[in-house]
Amino acid sequence: MKRLIISTFLIFFCLTVDAQKYIGKDGVISFFSEAPLENISAINHKVAAVYDAKTKEIVFHLYIEDFEFPIALMQEHFNENYLESDIFPKSTFVGKIIELKENIAYVEGDLNIHGQTNKIFANGKFVLEDKIVNISDVNFLLKLKDYKIKIPKIVLYKIAEVIEVKVDIKMKLQ
Amino acid sequence: MRYTVILSFILIAVHVTAQEDLLSLIDVKESNYISYTFKGNKIVNGESVEAPSAGVLQFQIQHRFGTLNSGFYNLYGLDNAQIRLGLDYGLKDWLCIGIGRSSALKTIDVSSKLKIMRQKNGMNAFPFTIAYYTSVFQKQFTKIEKKQANYKFSDQLSYVNQLLIAHKINRKLSLQISPTIVHYNLVGYDESNDRLSIGFSSRYKISNRVSINTEYFLQAVERTNNDVLSFGFDIETGGHIFQLHLSNSPAMIAPAFIHETKGIWAKGDIYFGFNISRVFSINENR
Repeated sequence: MKRLIISTFLIFFCLTVDAQKYIGKDGVISFFSEAPLENISAINHKVAAVYDAKTKEIVFHLYIEDFEFPIALMQEHFNENYLESDIFPKSTFVGKIIELKENIAYVEGDLNIHGQTNKIFANGKFVLEDKIVNISDVNFLLKLKDYKIKIPKIVLYKIAEVIEVKVDIKMKLQ
Repeated sequence: MRYTVILSFILIAVHVTAQEDLLSLIDVKESNYISYTFKGNKIVNGESVEAPSAGVLQFQIQHRFGTLNSGFYNLYGLDNAQIRLGLDYGLKDWLCIGIGRSSALKTIDVSSKLKIMRQKNGMNAFPFTIAYYTSVFQKQFTKIEKKQANYKFSDQLSYVNQLLIAHKINRKLSLQISPTIVHYNLVGYDESNDRLSIGFSSRYKISNRVSINTEYFLQAVERTNNDVLSFGFDIETGGHIFQLHLSNSPAMIAPAFIHETKGIWAKGDIYFGFNISRVFSINENR
């Protein structure tokens, strides 16, 4: 009997390591690029993220197809020609919070878009309250070249080479 | 007891080493829709499963010239141009309506396309995108024809009902089968009012912006004329799609090109033509 209790306790101890994880599934990532003819913007409402309070690791995950554009044709070009979402359906970020002070988190990690991975740094508001992590005001810039996103010369929308990305997500303790 | 300890250590080890595992906690999309089976709403003459998205207005300018074998006197067909102007509007992402007019045939058409199913992979995979296309055509009669005693308005009408079944095999190759019923209110002696045909179409992308299309309609029951065979070349440039065609029919509406095709490819009765389509986003808050 004693053995059984200890065994159960040990196994449960192992399983409860998970309890440090915060998960959010309806985060928002948007991007914006100012262009002379038509500004380009899109928003994704289905961003998922996990934050592990123990290891300070944080990961993001989204599907390229879930980006919604104000213009349907832009969305088609984005998926078909630029991001090639049939070959590279998702984008991920695997990183770590390297510093957290006064509710500002400094994050470093690998961002994978269009099959290319690059190290990026970003910072933003990080508030942990009532078992909820709230991430907001994250802004960072991406160079299309770093992710091998080719912009053809004859294109109606003159696309800027640098894109501004914003992140917003709420994660609940699991 | 010993086993439990070992098991626990393994579990702990798994947790410690499983850094990438965080991603697996959220990467759980069961299925993906397959989009962009064809570039345009039309493959060559016939309809594709694509339709304008909600809030998008598409303006189509279609040109067909005369036959290539009509000699230098007609500049190999370029002298004999006919056009169809069309407007299509997406009410919903799955429903669009359209109106158009063909110059040479003096025909107005009103159409609607309904997307029924979408191709999906992953969980609950479904192999086809299916759309239903229906259209009414009014061939405008001349004043003299209208004055005849037995004239009825309904004599001017014909109808097309099509089931469009498409499968995107990979990013380059898409295929479509289109069982079609054309109904004519007015037919000649010993012709039937309803005629069945099956369309076979394909699209092959040779680059991100250029594709080669083929289209063939087999008159399944009653062969009133030649079957139409067309080849198209789609070039996409931003907001426009240019479609260049070669076909043995000069018509741009289904009753005419499926059942009234006179041309024979082998004899050089080949009509050159093009479609230009331009999209406008009318309602951006869709």
